[in-house]
Amino acid sequence: MPLQAGRPLTSGISLRTWLGLLRRREAQLVLAILAVFALSSALHHTFASASNISFILADSVATMIVAVGQTIVVLARGIDLSVSPVLGIAAIGVGFPAQDSNLNIWLALLFVLLIGIGLGSFNGFLVAVVGIPPIITTLATLTIYGGLQFIFTSGQEVVNIPNTYGQLGNANMLPGIPWVIVIGAAVVGLAHFFLTKTVAGRAIYAIGNNADASFRAGIPVRRVLFATYVICGGLAGLAGLIYLCHVGSADATTGSDTNVNLMSIAAALIGGTTLLGGRGGPLGAALGAVFLSEALQAMISFRIDPIWEPAGVGALILIAVVSDRKGAPARQLFRQAFRRPAGAPR
Amino acid sequence: MSLPLPVSTDMGPRTEQSLTGPGPSARAVQDQGEQAGLRYEGRNLEKSFDGARVLSRVTVSFAPGEVHTIAGENGAGKSTLLKIMAGIYQPDSGELWLGDERLSGLSPRSAQHRGIYLVPQEPALMQSLSVAENLFVGILRRGRFRFNVDWAAMRREASGYLQRVGLDIDPSQKAEELSIAQQQLVECARALVHRCTVIFFDEPTSPLTATEAGRLFEVLRALRSQGYTLGFISHRLDEVLAISDRVTVLRDGAMVMSRPRAEIDRQELVKAMVGRELAARERVRPHFDASGGKEMLAVEDLTSQPHFEAISFSVRAGEILGLAGLVGSGRTEIAETIFGLRRADRGTVRVAGKLLGHRTPRVCIDAGLVYLPEDRGRHGIFAEVEVERNVTAGIIPRLQRVGPILKPSAERALAMQATAKTAVRMHSLGTLIKALSGGNQQRAMLSRWLLAEPQVAIFDEPTRGVDVGAKDDIYRLIAQLANEGLACVLISSELNELTVTCDRVLAIYEGHVVGELRGPEVTDAALGALVVGAHLK
Repeated sequence: MPLQAGRPLTSGISLRTWLGLLRRREAQLVLAILAVFALSSALHHTFASASNISFILADSVATMIVAVGQTIVVLARGIDLSVSPVLGIAAIGVGFPAQDSNLNIWLALLFVLLIGIGLGSFNGFLVAVVGIPPIITTLATLTIYGGLQFIFTSGQEVVNIPNTYGQLGNANMLPGIPWVIVIGAAVVGLAHFFLTKTVAGRAIYAIGNNADASFRAGIPVRRVLFATYVICGGLAGLAGLIYLCHVGSADATTGSDTNVNLMSIAAALIGGTTLLGGRGGPLGAALGAVFLSEALQAMISFRIDPIWEPAGVGALILIAVVSDRKGAPARQLFRQAFRRPAGAPR
Repeated sequence: MSLPLPVSTDMGPRTEQSLTGPGPSARAVQDQGEQAGLRYEGRNLEKSFDGARVLSRVTVSFAPGEVHTIAGENGAGKSTLLKIMAGIYQPDSGELWLGDERLSGLSPRSAQHRGIYLVPQEPALMQSLSVAENLFVGILRRGRFRFNVDWAAMRREASGYLQRVGLDIDPSQKAEELSIAQQQLVECARALVHRCTVIFFDEPTSPLTATEAGRLFEVLRALRSQGYTLGFISHRLDEVLAISDRVTVLRDGAMVMSRPRAEIDRQELVKAMVGRELAARERVRPHFDASGGKEMLAVEDLTSQPHFEAISFSVRAGEILGLAGLVGSGRTEIAETIFGLRRADRGTVRVAGKLLGHRTPRVCIDAGLVYLPEDRGRHGIFAEVEVERNVTAGIIPRLQRVGPILKPSAERALAMQATAKTAVRMHSLGTLIKALSGGNQQRAMLSRWLLAEPQVAIFDEPTRGVDVGAKDDIYRLIAQLANEGLACVLISSELNELTVTCDRVLAIYEGHVVGELRGPEVTDAALGALVVGAHLK
């Protein structure tokens, strides 16, 4: 019964595949990262050193982990503006006991995850159960959590962390490969697996594409939405521990002072995830975080005042979003040309 | 995140047993062949929206192995009927019977579980997901560990289903890369994946070319021969005659005919679809001969693919020109293009002899051309704003002001004057416009455009969502404006509305002008035949 319908498959798969690969944001980002790297190393001979590369990567890990969580929320057409105080509360929440009573690092890991999951659950509850729009919910909890962070610190700072923490944050696991890079890679890999290979992960994409159709197809939309905020909170908590270990200090403004909200959204957007949901993924977000970290290092080595960094990040967001849209009208024209040829007989 | 349906690799439609267990009807159905679907009936279905009766006591029966077409004009209730049968709307009264089982409280999901699927008019695929994933969303095939997705198995299965609907595409392609026709077939394959045996198509051919529609029909015929129960909406005569085994015609929400295809011919079908027993309303004003008048709007060779092509017409002062056509025929797109809301591929628009080059709504309003949009709620009113500001919204740049500040008294006086002319019934000018009835909102919209002192006005479905009594008032108002010299274009899918109001009517079919009727030639029957494409062989 096979009927002849539809356009035939384009032949020449290999060329198509190659062009398709270049259209992918991840590939473009890898090229951009290599280009900035080549340019910086050409002008600055120390830029290409192994230690500098390792530093750039390690420095991006906290942002990267938050960006992965942010990506998961954004894929389901949400947004989480409260990640910076979640990171901050997690960092001081284990920072003080670590400083004062040498908290076991495994317990610290458990605590940051619990803190993140707890705060994320509150976001998820408000969005998925109460039904408040994500942007309002998380704008409110941004302020609430930020206030709590101030209250918990009560003017104190974490300045001294135990050795085990410092080693996790800065020591190498294997020669040349710091622990944090391994952790970051593991988080990204797991998230990628979760989003592409599991039923729950695909439900997130489906909801981001069309929540109504997903509900009709039997996907438990509210439960999945709730889960995205829990996961995002948990990852922000984990990032808090990484930050504490890597930087070695934490205080009332940790998270907000480094603009974690903006950086996580920037990394996700630069990585090809659209705020409209349903499109993108953690690999892009990870590359986006690396790119941002690399760009910052490049600025420093060119002696550009870091005061320009936020402006640069904003410009990158615009470039990423515009370049994503630029393809769309062209594609549409192309499609329309095939949909109904001019003067087709009816 | 549990999955509702068991995984099965059986490619045939769901049999009677998997639906209701063995019973008397199971045997009956199996006698007809293994893959038979079920008879699906709606009995005495009634439905009203906001007090307006859309369906009255309609009884239809969809039989396995049959393509059953629901035909009728726009607003006849075809879509409502199928949406009730697919669980999207609840009927006010009446019963749904699937085989020997009465279905109650049907939802889109429970309908799907029982094997009933409605392919929507516009495919609702998840654009950035693969075809395979679209087919299986909600019942993704799981791998060994239960939580993981078995992509390979799904792609394999998907190819099988795609082939059954005649699609030769790669299941890992994204939905957005497909043409509308292909997306529709994917929707159809989705019905098969979900083991649905009763498949409805809501006007599937309106976005398709003739060739694409032909392919869809081949798929329908193939499914028919496998015993599926198929329902199909169309208002194109040729299609109805070509594909149907049984035709049911609805008119104004009531069933006027339901007969096997073999027993009817073209003439009868046209008569059933457009014939009206009810006495035609009286004309709002006598036919007006505008041939001596000044040409106020001249449209020349206006084209915007794929919506319409080479549209030329002119309207003279004091004339009411009708544009008749079904929803989707391109009439609204024509109006929007004239008013600068859409880009034209080519063609010119002149208002009172002056060529409007780069058209935007502002340019058109300033030249004396106004457009009353079809979708009042979305494109017309500012719901949360007072009537006064709604009325003056079209002429803000011309309002009197003191320095940069608007002069409220002047604004109020203008609004007062304009609403008095159209007789808007309201508590005061300060009433929020959303509190007004549909008819009064429409009058307020008319006042807005009167303030702009137009020479040409395009009214797009001016009586949509307006109750019957108020409709006549709006016709009279339009006639009065025309008497005062306004050149009017009236777009409507209600033919009678055009018959009683217009001096001349252009019939639009599939983006082309297919006929022009003048003066006494304008009758419901003549128009009805033109808009459904009866002129085509």
